[in-house]
Amino acid sequence: MRNRLKVLRAERNWSQADLADKLDVSRQSVNAIETGKYDPSLPLAFKIAQVFGLPIEQIFSADEVAQAAE
Amino acid sequence: MAETNPRIISNGRRYMGNMAVASVLYTAAVFGGAFAIRGGEAPQWLAITAALLPLLPALLMLRAYAIFLKGIDEFQRRIQTDAMLVSAAVVGFGSFAYGFLEEWADFPHLPLIWVFPALIGIWGLAACILRLRYK
Repeated sequence: MRNRLKVLRAERNWSQADLADKLDVSRQSVNAIETGKYDPSLPLAFKIAQVFGLPIEQIFSADEVAQAAE
Repeated sequence: MAETNPRIISNGRRYMGNMAVASVLYTAAVFGGAFAIRGGEAPQWLAITAALLPLLPALLMLRAYAIFLKGIDEFQRRIQTDAMLVSAAVVGFGSFAYGFLEEWADFPHLPLIWVFPALIGIWGLAACILRLRYK
């Protein structure tokens, strides 16, 4: 799965630690999600969408979908 | 970069505190038990009590770990459970293989007391390695 977490975070000038605090997870978790090493659960993905104020599909996309769009 | 989430930090500190208390009690139970049965002439009930006494603080250690596991986030929990699976596989398979070697190839007998520490040790090592993989 791909995500736009790093870009969205940069747009808001948030550090990984800032985002981790907002999501109530560890900074290491934010890093793992951002780098695509870990796919969050559905509840955490919804929480991420809520924190950014965006629909979930504007943040996450399946690899095949992202490749097709490129 | 170090952890910054206060809840995660406090969960880690609570775990260290609980583990420290359990470790002190464990050490006291082992030395106390060994002292109680010194000389090898202790009655059977005392020997059994002394032998099982260290299990109580060991249970406290498991409780500390269970509390820690509840306080971490889903990604960290994934690392912990993956590490536990690795440890269970390595120790389980290793002790199974060694059992055959003991029985059929005259390898020296190893006491079962080492199985639990091996589980914990390999779990800790696997958790460190897995954490590095996600850095």
